[in-house]
Amino acid sequence: MNAVFFLIPAALLLSGTFLVLYLRAVRQGQFDDLDDPPLRMLEED
Amino acid sequence: MSLAVRREVRPCAWCGAGVEAEGPGEAFCCPGCETASVMVHGAGLEAYFAKRDVLPARPQGRSSLSWAQIPRQTLPDGCVEATFHVDGLRCAACTWLTERVMLDAPGVVQAQVSYGTGAARVRWDPRTASLEEALQRVSLLGYSPRAVDAAPTDDRDLLNRLGVAAFAAGNVMMIAAAVYLGWFSGMDEGFQVLFRWVSLLLATPVTFYSAAPFFQGAINGLRHRLLHMDLPIALAVAAVYAHGLYATLVGREGWLDSLTMLVALLLVGKVLEQRGRRRAAEAAQALAVQAPSRARRITPMGLEEIPASELRAGDRIELAAGEEIAADGRVLEGHGRVQMGLLTGESEAVAVGPGRTVIAGAVLAEGHLRVQVQAPAAESMLARMADLLREAASRPPEPTTADRLAPWFVGLTLLAAAITFGVWTVLDGPAHALEITVAVLVVACPCALALAAPLAAHAGLGAAARRGLLLRGGDAVRRTSQVDLIALDKTGTLTWGQPRVVAAEDRVLRIAAGIERASVHPIARAIVDEAGARGIPLPLGERVRETPGQGIEGLVDGRLWRVQSGGAGVVEVREEGGALLGRIHLRDRLREEAVAAVSGLKALGVQVVLLTGDHPEVAREIAAQAGIDQVLAARSPEDKAAWIAARRAEGRHVMFVGDGVNDGPALAEADVGIAMGHGAASSVLVADGILVGERVDALRSGLLAARAAARVGRISVWRSVVYNVATVLLAMFGLINPLVAAVLMPLSSGLVIAGAMSVEGRVLRGQR
Repeated sequence: MNAVFFLIPAALLLSGTFLVLYLRAVRQGQFDDLDDPPLRMLEED
Repeated sequence: MSLAVRREVRPCAWCGAGVEAEGPGEAFCCPGCETASVMVHGAGLEAYFAKRDVLPARPQGRSSLSWAQIPRQTLPDGCVEATFHVDGLRCAACTWLTERVMLDAPGVVQAQVSYGTGAARVRWDPRTASLEEALQRVSLLGYSPRAVDAAPTDDRDLLNRLGVAAFAAGNVMMIAAAVYLGWFSGMDEGFQVLFRWVSLLLATPVTFYSAAPFFQGAINGLRHRLLHMDLPIALAVAAVYAHGLYATLVGREGWLDSLTMLVALLLVGKVLEQRGRRRAAEAAQALAVQAPSRARRITPMGLEEIPASELRAGDRIELAAGEEIAADGRVLEGHGRVQMGLLTGESEAVAVGPGRTVIAGAVLAEGHLRVQVQAPAAESMLARMADLLREAASRPPEPTTADRLAPWFVGLTLLAAAITFGVWTVLDGPAHALEITVAVLVVACPCALALAAPLAAHAGLGAAARRGLLLRGGDAVRRTSQVDLIALDKTGTLTWGQPRVVAAEDRVLRIAAGIERASVHPIARAIVDEAGARGIPLPLGERVRETPGQGIEGLVDGRLWRVQSGGAGVVEVREEGGALLGRIHLRDRLREEAVAAVSGLKALGVQVVLLTGDHPEVAREIAAQAGIDQVLAARSPEDKAAWIAARRAEGRHVMFVGDGVNDGPALAEADVGIAMGHGAASSVLVADGILVGERVDALRSGLLAARAAARVGRISVWRSVVYNVATVLLAMFGLINPLVAAVLMPLSSGLVIAGAMSVEGRVLRGQR
């Protein structure tokens, strides 16, 4: 059961990494425009 | 056998209009199309022709003085970035092409154009490029770039808060699940302590960072002596956090999983609401009043180009055809025709000569003028109008259902909490009473209630926007759903707002179109468009010469023709000697989709009337064509507003659809004012909604969407009220513990989300 003492920080670290990635994506403006990228995808290049 | 070169009819390689061409190769209907096509081929962008599914407009390629007004921002790496708006994007291929031609300009590093909003963002290296060059390229293709009022606001701040809350909620819920399961299987006290402290650690940033906007809202509300919806939320968050802190210290179970979840869900609602509002605001901004920013002043040393803000009364300015007038003034020299549609809503250009007054914001359609400035640009009629509109646009939003319920809700919750605490203190001592009181606050927190209205409204906004009606915020959706009387303006709304050919013989039209095809005059465009619509191939007019005020002449089929005005709304085509070949009659005409739009609205049980400043005879004719029974003609802007006010006083819910600044009072007076989405309509600032594609039939789908959203919103609100009352009662009797709350909370929010997702389906069913 002592594994839990290790697993909780590990879980926090993992999800914390995702949080940092998300915050970076927000700062880069990846969420500013959600209407156009789906249309852009249809173009060939 | 004839010696003449064989002529054949081919589509113009750019815009598709039929052209009589000689010999092989691509045929073009006008020089603008040829320039555009040469540019696309030169840049190696032929893929455009395969991609496009809508033919582009015929290019006019005019540069604009207002380009100087586009705000630029220097980035840390030395590049400069600018945000502006592009008019005339018709399909995804247009977006692709404008991006590519700008990227192709030397020194441009990045170019992005949004198809949805027409917003463009360009980044370039100022040492090797200028923005003007990129803009010039776009405008040569027939699209019109221009400045927007302000840089778009960003909602990144809220997204950050939401991210932190969602991160914490995920972890805390995972831990909470372990703790709740531990109740049944028995859990080591050490683990429980660890779990509680980790939960507290995660809930702290949620409370102080993520939930900060709610505290802010509640404090602002209190400062204005209002019980805002944020107040019960802020109270619950504060109480639960304080209790969680205390519980963790004394070694008991807090409610921190509910807290983090609550904040995360509420932020989702806030983000959605803000996005809907921003989208409408951006669209409105893009269409807002734009005065030209530069002018050419006549000085003893010659012409100098100066910012319009430096113009003083008494200055003399020079104007060429196609330019916007920068300040109010009086014509000194020259003749020409001025388009004042921006201010008067009148589409026809007005002839001006020495002594006549011209106003800022009007466009010189043809001719050449010297004008004496009478008032600085900042005091022009246009500037005053823009101020008025801005004032009207900044009026505070009306309270929503949730806002109106909030004071009751807050009062009742506080009352329930007080009673609970009092009774349970007597029954069982203050420690247990506190725990039960916190439970009451947690389950009373209007999570689903606060989420219900914005989610449903957002779904309605989206459904309406996809069908061409852009509504400004959830409140506009609610008011649109109640509309039972629609008053339509005539010019520019039911009709095109521009002269269109109503009668002409094909052979007359063919000659006139062949000569007029190089001209950008609105009447010339109408003639060429009509020839295209009838499938008449455009002959190639040669030696075409335009004399301002006297018409245009040119060679077609080897003979010289003159096309000139034959009175109001009539164009004459004459042979060289003066013999009349025929006349072309032009008039503003009903939009094709108007008939279906009107009958569709009637089928929804809405009364439709025509409310116009136009002559009763003209108005009745158009109304009869469109299928409108009730006509109110010859009404001044004030009369229109007064009529709408009178209907509202009778308890009707009135929607007014119009364009032009003269419709401003009526748009503002109506429950819902809808503006037409074409370039120059400054009325959009007072409007609650915009018909983006200028299709009146979008009104019907928009109405359906608003009704569906309002219905779903109402159901959701009442469902969550009932839910909240029931759970508060349970909590007051001490029957709800953290486990039950953790299950019930997401359940109610889930119901609300499912409701919002049903809006689109309801609209589709209604359209069938």
